[in-house]
Amino acid sequence: MSVDIRIDPILCRGHAICALFFADGVDLDQWGFGKVVLAVAETPKDVRRAFRAATACPNRALVVQERAAATTEPVT
Amino acid sequence: MTTLPWLTIPEPAVTPDPDVLLGLAGFGERAVAGFGERAVAGPAIAVAPAPTDPHIGGVGDPGTLMLAGPPAGVGGGGLDGHLATWGALPGVDGSGVRALLRSSALDGRGGGGFPLIRKVETARFAGGVPVLIVNASESEPASHKDRTLCAERPHLVLDGAALVATALGVDEVVVHLHRSPESAASTLESAIAERRRRGVPDPRWRLSAGPDRYVAGESSAVASYVDGGQARPLFTTFPLAVIGPSGRPTVVSNAETVAQLAVLARTGPGAWAARGEPSSPGPRLVTLTGAVNRRGRVVEVSGQATIGDILVADGQANPPAAVLVGGYAGTWILGTEAWQTPFTREALAAVDAGPGCGLIGLLPHSACALVETARLVRYLAGESAGQCGTCVAGLPRLADACEALASGDLRKRGVRRMVTIGDIVLGSGACGHPDAIVKLIRSMLSVFEDDVVGHMAGHPCRGSDHPPVFTVPEVELAIGRDGLREWA
Repeated sequence: MSVDIRIDPILCRGHAICALFFADGVDLDQWGFGKVVLAVAETPKDVRRAFRAATACPNRALVVQERAAATTEPVT
Repeated sequence: MTTLPWLTIPEPAVTPDPDVLLGLAGFGERAVAGFGERAVAGPAIAVAPAPTDPHIGGVGDPGTLMLAGPPAGVGGGGLDGHLATWGALPGVDGSGVRALLRSSALDGRGGGGFPLIRKVETARFAGGVPVLIVNASESEPASHKDRTLCAERPHLVLDGAALVATALGVDEVVVHLHRSPESAASTLESAIAERRRRGVPDPRWRLSAGPDRYVAGESSAVASYVDGGQARPLFTTFPLAVIGPSGRPTVVSNAETVAQLAVLARTGPGAWAARGEPSSPGPRLVTLTGAVNRRGRVVEVSGQATIGDILVADGQANPPAAVLVGGYAGTWILGTEAWQTPFTREALAAVDAGPGCGLIGLLPHSACALVETARLVRYLAGESAGQCGTCVAGLPRLADACEALASGDLRKRGVRRMVTIGDIVLGSGACGHPDAIVKLIRSMLSVFEDDVVGHMAGHPCRGSDHPPVFTVPEVELAIGRDGLREWA
């Protein structure tokens, strides 16, 4: 499984816990807000860390989604 | 049902790739020139006739397409005047309208330039009853095209909105405006009442009036407000046309875009598209601002008219110092270069600009671009919704830096620092607002390199006491102090 990783910049308050749990995937900018450096996690290790970081965020600002395949069947 | 030839173009037999359709292929891409909407290349144009000769004309000019016919003051704005100029709207079903959108490749005119057909198809395939919002709020303070259109040609906007509603299969349309004294709400209200009286087969109309703030006109902010939330941009993991704040697919389209649809349904997509060129089909509405003779005038531009042609139509004889294109958060182009540049998406892209909301601002030789940019950046920074960290932290610093540069207080290190902050801010917000500001600053630094060097060396500036060329509204509240009521 591969996942898309994004940070909701509206919810992010710069707790920096994501960068602690998932240092390879999230960087901090100069004001301490998270910046995603690994937009797509492929390896099981990275995916696990991404989910752990998302769960740990107090503001639920880290969005980890299963890689977007088309979820809806087109109606013909 | 009519038998107009262009209404018989069949829908493609092949179902489009859902990944591409739902906008997931361009996941994360963002148009920087305008707001939130994701810019993706439009579908190939089916009918691409040779462009017509350049023509520039205002309201009532017989050579224009949308603005031809008498102005609103002398009967052009009423339903009778509208029908005399345009005739009744041809009866088209949903697939007919979609065929029109597909073959004309009508691009969004709000700033993002996203083809309307992709929003419509995405919303249809996403499931659920779509919400259709026509965005006539026109947040750009210097732009007047949507206002002019709603005031002069309200029935074109409503006709077009009705067509998009047919294409989506919805029976309600929300027309969104700003609560401001200049908004065309009353004109639209009386136009809707007139249509109802005369029995025009229309969807249900709902007028919505949102807060009069810059980012409140961004598409997700509009969708949020119409759904009962605050008029502030949203963080979206899927395009609005897949799922909006209400949980239903939401199509937000600019007022000029739908008015263009009402026009091309009558003229046929071929004749309509011939007034532009393949990268930006059809005529476009342009607002002139800055040091022009008629500030705020809206003209219709067709053919490969260059920015020079448009300025000549305003009475300018020589290239200005520079031109600001696409909006207040737009791009600078040197006057001599702009003079030769056609006002089309392709030609503007070659100079790192875009048509945006169709604003052309003229900077005279006597004014200083750095002073002007500093004022614009300060205004735009104050118009942030104050939601994202980098916007709250970064934009005031960028505005400070621009002002320091303009007043000659910034040296090499300060400029380098400004560029670094811009790099951090770029792409980090929920909407395109901070990105557009960074792009404006970057274009200032590259286009006016000599002036920047001069200011850094402390040379006296030729335009420091020039009266403001690009005027900005007063921003009353600073970032972070906004009460919630202001966005409701």
